[in-house]
Amino acid sequence: MAFLVVYITEAHPSDVWQMQSNIKDQVVFASPKNEEERAFIAGACVRKLGIKFPSVLDEFGNSTERAYTGWPDRIYLIDAQGRVAFKSKPGPFGFLPDELSAALVRTVPAPTPNQSTSIQQPMGNPPASSPLASPATR
Amino acid sequence: MRWDKFKSRLNPSPATRRRLGIAAVVLAVVYLAFGSYIWWAMNQPPETFGRVMAKMPGPVPFLLFPFETFWMRARAGHLQVGDAAPDFSLLKLDKTERVQLSALNQRQPVVLVFGSYT
Repeated sequence: MAFLVVYITEAHPSDVWQMQSNIKDQVVFASPKNEEERAFIAGACVRKLGIKFPSVLDEFGNSTERAYTGWPDRIYLIDAQGRVAFKSKPGPFGFLPDELSAALVRTVPAPTPNQSTSIQQPMGNPPASSPLASPATR
Repeated sequence: MRWDKFKSRLNPSPATRRRLGIAAVVLAVVYLAFGSYIWWAMNQPPETFGRVMAKMPGPVPFLLFPFETFWMRARAGHLQVGDAAPDFSLLKLDKTERVQLSALNQRQPVVLVFGSYT
């Protein structure tokens, strides 16, 4: 079982769609102008949020994001035959790790007792504080 | 009598009815146009959508329209459960190596978590 974070184009860069919640959390970044700047923000993201999964950087043309319709956030489970076994609904509304847990139980052989199939939301703001998830609070 | 006055208000003159009718049509057209604009924006690349949303007056699109329903449909994507996962080869953030999905996926399932910082 492998977990991979695919860091994709920013959801709320300061020059496009600034969120008050991000100002409050001091997570303010303008759109990166090249892959190096994107890698810098991605590195900050992984460090600050303490993401332990292996993480890769989508290339600057966003080809992987487009292939998976991953923006702004989304979860997939690919089975050992290379087929999509679970596809979450688009985030932030559809970013529900519990649904992944259920899909893992269905798809993956039972884990040994010291393994867990449950994950926490690994990156970005939790849905509850997301502007898309709680519009009435904006 | 008060009741007569009340009745006369409930039975507006033909001119008033016409004006109310026109106002209702105008409101409906504006509502549909605004809703269509939001739907269009959701189907654009993220940056275009973000720029549109940044100009929206506060929570208006969320309160007046079934925003979440629109979003789920607009961002549904074409990939379906059972489809072959599109392969990719991307550089790890620590730049130590590239990760190819098909190689990582050869003997084990893989969870992909898409996201960003902001």
